[in-house]
Amino acid sequence: MGRRSIIVAAASLTSGVGVAWVMFANEVRTSSVLDVILVLVVGWSFIGAGLLAWQLKPGNSIGTAMIVTGFLRFLAALAQSQNVVLFAGGHALEVAYLAGVIYVVLAFPRGRLENTFHRGLFGLAIFAVGPLDIARLVFGGHDPQSCVGCPTTLVIEVVNAPGIARALELALFGLGAVVAVSAFAVLIRRWQRASPRLRFAIAPVLWVGAASFVAVFLMVTNHFLEEPAGDAPHVLLDVVTASVAFAFLVGLGRTRLARSAVADLVIELGNTPGPGELRAALARTLRDPSLDIVYWLPGGERYVDADGRPIELPLEGGERSVTVVRRDDHIIAALLHDPALREDAQLVESVCAAAGLAMENERLQAELRARLEELSASRTRIVEAAQAERRRIERDLHDGSQQRLVSVAMTLGLADSKLTSDPVDAQTFLREARTGLTEALEDLRELSSGIYPGILTERGLAPALEDLAARCRMPVELVVSLPQRLPDQIETAAYFVASEALTNAAKHAPASTVQVRVDQVDGQIAIQVRDDGPGGADPSRGSGLGGLRDRIEALGGRFTLTSPPGAGTILEAEIPCG
Amino acid sequence: MRVVVAEDSVILREGLVRLLTEVGFDVVGQAGDGAELLKQVDTHDPDVAIVDIRMPPTHTDEGLRAAKELRHRHPGLGVLVLSQYARPSYAFELLSEGTDGIGYLLKDRVSDLGELAESVRRVAGGGSVLDPSVVAQLVNRRRMGNDPVEELTERELEVLGLMAEGRSNKAVADRLFITEHTVEKHVQNILAKLQIPATTDDHRRVLAVLTYLNSS
Repeated sequence: MGRRSIIVAAASLTSGVGVAWVMFANEVRTSSVLDVILVLVVGWSFIGAGLLAWQLKPGNSIGTAMIVTGFLRFLAALAQSQNVVLFAGGHALEVAYLAGVIYVVLAFPRGRLENTFHRGLFGLAIFAVGPLDIARLVFGGHDPQSCVGCPTTLVIEVVNAPGIARALELALFGLGAVVAVSAFAVLIRRWQRASPRLRFAIAPVLWVGAASFVAVFLMVTNHFLEEPAGDAPHVLLDVVTASVAFAFLVGLGRTRLARSAVADLVIELGNTPGPGELRAALARTLRDPSLDIVYWLPGGERYVDADGRPIELPLEGGERSVTVVRRDDHIIAALLHDPALREDAQLVESVCAAAGLAMENERLQAELRARLEELSASRTRIVEAAQAERRRIERDLHDGSQQRLVSVAMTLGLADSKLTSDPVDAQTFLREARTGLTEALEDLRELSSGIYPGILTERGLAPALEDLAARCRMPVELVVSLPQRLPDQIETAAYFVASEALTNAAKHAPASTVQVRVDQVDGQIAIQVRDDGPGGADPSRGSGLGGLRDRIEALGGRFTLTSPPGAGTILEAEIPCG
Repeated sequence: MRVVVAEDSVILREGLVRLLTEVGFDVVGQAGDGAELLKQVDTHDPDVAIVDIRMPPTHTDEGLRAAKELRHRHPGLGVLVLSQYARPSYAFELLSEGTDGIGYLLKDRVSDLGELAESVRRVAGGGSVLDPSVVAQLVNRRRMGNDPVEELTERELEVLGLMAEGRSNKAVADRLFITEHTVEKHVQNILAKLQIPATTDDHRRVLAVLTYLNSS
C-alpha cells in the first residue's frame, strides 16, 4: 500500500467518523442509526473499492473516481449539520456524488468514457449536480420551512427569487430524469452488444448501475411530485449506490478470478488432456466459449486446426482477436478469441505459458494429421492422374491407330474383292493399305514413347533428354552433367519434369528459348527448366504441374514454380538420390 | 437399297461409303454425329442407317442413343450399329428395343465385303445381326460352371452361335456345309437341351436364345 493510499484511507476514516458525529450532533433533526450506517457504508465502500482498484489496476481512472465519489457522499451528509457553513457546503453538493456513480458505471471496466455520447452524458450530470443545483440555491431554492432542524439561513443564498429558483429546480429534475434514462439505455445497449466473455465480467456493475439509474429517476420523479413516496427513494438510492461499490468489487474479482483458474488449469493439464480437451480447458479458464486453438506448421508456413486442416487467421479488428503463442521464441500456435480478452492480456499470457507444453504436444499431433491428410490427398491425386492418363491413352488408341487399322482392313477388303476382276485397281488399294499401316505404326510409336520413352531405360537420362529436345519445336539449350546413371524412378521423374515443362512452354510460350539444366549436387539431382516467355503460369490450374509436384514429393523431393507475369517461367525440382 | 452412314471419323466414313458403294448400296446421306444422323434419316427415309456408337459431343454412346431414337421415329428402318469394342451390355440395350431390323457389329467386320452386304440386307429385311465375338462372350460365360450349355456337342455349339448371330437355318446350313434339314435337327436338340420352347419363327428363336444366354 502506497503513501497516497494510506493518506486516503486515513482521511476516509476521519471523514466517516466526523460525518457520523455531525449527523448525531444535530439535536433537532436526529438521524436514525440506519441513515448514518447507509452514509458510512456508501462512502467507505466506494473509497475502499477505489483503493483496491488503485492497487489492482494502476492507471485505471475508476479507482480515483470511486474515491472521489465516496468523499462526495460524506460531503453530502454535512447537509445534516447545524453549522451554517457545513450545512451550506453539504447542501450545495448534496447530489454531486451521483455524477461520480454515473462515471464509475459508464467507464467500467476500461476506466474511460467510450464515446462522445457517454462523455456528453457525464458532462450533463456534472452540470446538473454542480452549477445548476448551486444556482437554484443561490436564487433562493432552499425552503427553510421544509427542512426540519436546518439552519434558518443558507449562506450561499444571494437573492430570494422563487420564480427563477422553481424554474431551475424543474430544469434540474428534467435533466436528472433525462440523464438517468439515457444512462440506463446505454447500459442495456452495452449488454446487448457484449460478447459472453465480456458479459460475465461486466454483469454485476452493469445491473447494479442500471438499478441506480432507475433509483435516481424515481427520486427525481418523487421530488417533482412533491414526495408522495416520502423518503423511500432516497433510501433506495443509498442502498443501490452502496451496492455499486460491491458490484464493482465482484466485477473486478471476475476479471481477476481467472488468475486463480490458471492454477487449476496447470493441474488439469498435468493429467494429459485428450483430443479437444485442451481447447475446452483454455476456453473454461479464459471464460471464452468461442475460443479456438490453431497450430503452426513450420514446414507449410500456415496454421491448421487440431485435425490438421488449414485455417486462415481472422483479420485483427474483426469479431475475433488473435494471440500468437510462442515457446522458446518459436511460434507454436495461435489463440482465436473474443476481443474482450485483450483487456486481460496478462491473464492470456499466463494461460499460454501454463499450457505451452500441452499446446506443443497438440501441435505435433496436428502436424502429423496435416501430413497424413496431405499424403492421402496426394495419393488420391496420383490415382486420379493415373486414371486420367489411362483414359487419354484409350482415347488416343481409339481415335488413332485403331481407326487407321480399321481403315486399312476396309481397303484390304476392297483390294480382295477386286483381285480377280480388276487387278490394277486391287494393286492401288494394296498400296493404299500399306500407307495406312505405316501411318498406324507411326501413331503407335508416338503413343508408346509418350507412355514411357524406351530410350530412358536403354541409354539413360541425358540421351533421353537430348531426344526430347530434338523433337521439341522450340530451340532448347540442354546442359546435363551427371556422372552416372540414376535409379529408374528418379530418371523417370526428372524426364517427365523436363517433358511437361517443354510441353507447357510450347503451349504458352511458343516463341521463347528454353534452357534445361540437370545437375547432381550434394546427393540431390536438380532439374531446372527456364523459358523467357510471358510467365504467369498458375500451378493450381491444370493437372500437369500438380501431378509433377505429387510425383516429385512422393520421391521426397521439392518442386517449385516461379512464374512472375512478364518475366518467364522457371520450374525447379530437387530429388534426393542416395 | 438406300443407306445413311453416321461416323465422326472422316477416314472411316469415307472408307465405309466406298465399301457400301462397291457392294451396290446407294449411300444417300452421311452424318458426323447423332443429331445430324436423325436429320439425314428424316430427310432421305433410307432402308438402313449404319451408326458408329461413339460420336461427338461426349464420345461415349451417342450412336446407341441415336439408334434407339431412330427405332421410335422410323419403326420399319433397319439400324446397324458399329463399334470398336464388342460389348454384350450395349448389344442387349439395343436388342431390348426389339430384335427385328437391328444389328450390332464390330467395325473390323466391315472389311469383309460379303459379310457387310449380308448384314445390311439382313437388318433391312427385318432380321437381326449380332457380332460373333459378342455371341462368343455370351456362350463362354455360360460354359463356366454347371450349365446345360455344357451338354451341347461341338457342332451344336457352332449352330447355336450362328443362330444367335441372327442367321437363318439356310444361312447356317451354307456356313457349315450341311443340309437345312440337318440344321433343323441340331436346332431341335439345342432347344430341347436348353429347355427353350420350340418356335418356327426365326426372330423369336433368336430372341429366346439370346435371352437364355444372357440370363444368369
